[in-house]
Amino acid sequence: MVVKIDSEACGHIDNCPVQGLCIKLCEQGAIIEENGDVKIVPENCDDCDLCIQNCPNQAISKA
Amino acid sequence: MFNVERDGSEIRKLRYDDDICVSCGICADVCPTSSLRLGPIVPIARGLIEMDAISVNSNTCVLCGLCSVACPFGALSLFIDGVNIKDGGNYPYWDIKSEVCEDDCIYCGRCSVACPRDAIIFERNLPKRQDLVRGEISIDDEKCIYCGFCAELCPPGAIDISNVPTSSVDVVNNSIEVDTTKCVYCGICKRICPEDAITEICSTCMLQDQIDVPEITGDTIISKKSCVNCSWCAEICPVDAIDITKPFAGNLGLVETEESVCKGDSCHACQDVCSCNAIEIVEGKAVTNLTFCNLCGACIKACPQSIRALTRTSMKLNNINSEAWNECLNKILND
Repeated sequence: MVVKIDSEACGHIDNCPVQGLCIKLCEQGAIIEENGDVKIVPENCDDCDLCIQNCPNQAISKA
Repeated sequence: MFNVERDGSEIRKLRYDDDICVSCGICADVCPTSSLRLGPIVPIARGLIEMDAISVNSNTCVLCGLCSVACPFGALSLFIDGVNIKDGGNYPYWDIKSEVCEDDCIYCGRCSVACPRDAIIFERNLPKRQDLVRGEISIDDEKCIYCGFCAELCPPGAIDISNVPTSSVDVVNNSIEVDTTKCVYCGICKRICPEDAITEICSTCMLQDQIDVPEITGDTIISKKSCVNCSWCAEICPVDAIDITKPFAGNLGLVETEESVCKGDSCHACQDVCSCNAIEIVEGKAVTNLTFCNLCGACIKACPQSIRALTRTSMKLNNINSEAWNECLNKILND
């Protein structure tokens, strides 16, 4: 299923109140930083939904 | 930590202590004005965000104190004119305990190691080693060549040799000492000495009658402030010296569906927030050991799959005198 990021709600990592909480939370390496933005690596995603639950901007949802 | 305070005909003050809070959110669930909010407990538990688990809207909080009596761990307290309402006798209180029976405790310290909250303060006084053995030892300086065999082999490390280099072989600048507070008169030094410089006699067996039965004294104290009644200490105690009463009776388990399954090691959110060290990931699934679980429910709030099912059938909250409060506080239970 994987997840998707609403880039408008997300903004850039600099604007995230926790500077990329989803990246720090995901231990599978399914969310990485790329040029100051958050990028999903679908093949690493285990669908645990921790990122969806904890995104301070509620920018992550099921794909 | 927050304080909400208001002065009127009486002075009311609500105090929250984040160090005690286990992030269960029971307070937020029972608050009649929805003034308390449970924060992002998984990132907090992982140290990714530094903030209190509970926040309050002081504009809407009516300082009723319901949250403070609902919290089984004492993280919230309401003071009326300086008196904690839980001490007044009129308000509900938790009939839970965590106590060490001093008469039974043997001061082994296992409880202190097992406690997931570092809530057990433990110290003991062992007898002196020299009071438990009898013997004599002496080293002949004239014969000793300071080879150091004895010091290297001595099991308790009781022999101290100092070999100071000097300008001439004629200048003697060595010394050898036996620390009799450490020596157990085992005789290894005597046997290894190439120069027969050591005289050692062990009379421990012969003089047993003169040796007192060793007495161990100590103190094992459970800090009520930090204790979450998980009962690790009571379970691990080899002499059953610890008595724990848990706040709730009930059950907790995983209820997986076709869409939502436990992701185990990928997620382990439940394990991270558990204050009882009661959750283990076994073969990719979170397994809760109910012996150690206090049914606080923090893991339920943390699970992103919402597949943890908690049932609380009874609680040790006594002395609920008001019907309205009874209704609010019974929300903690699910029949």
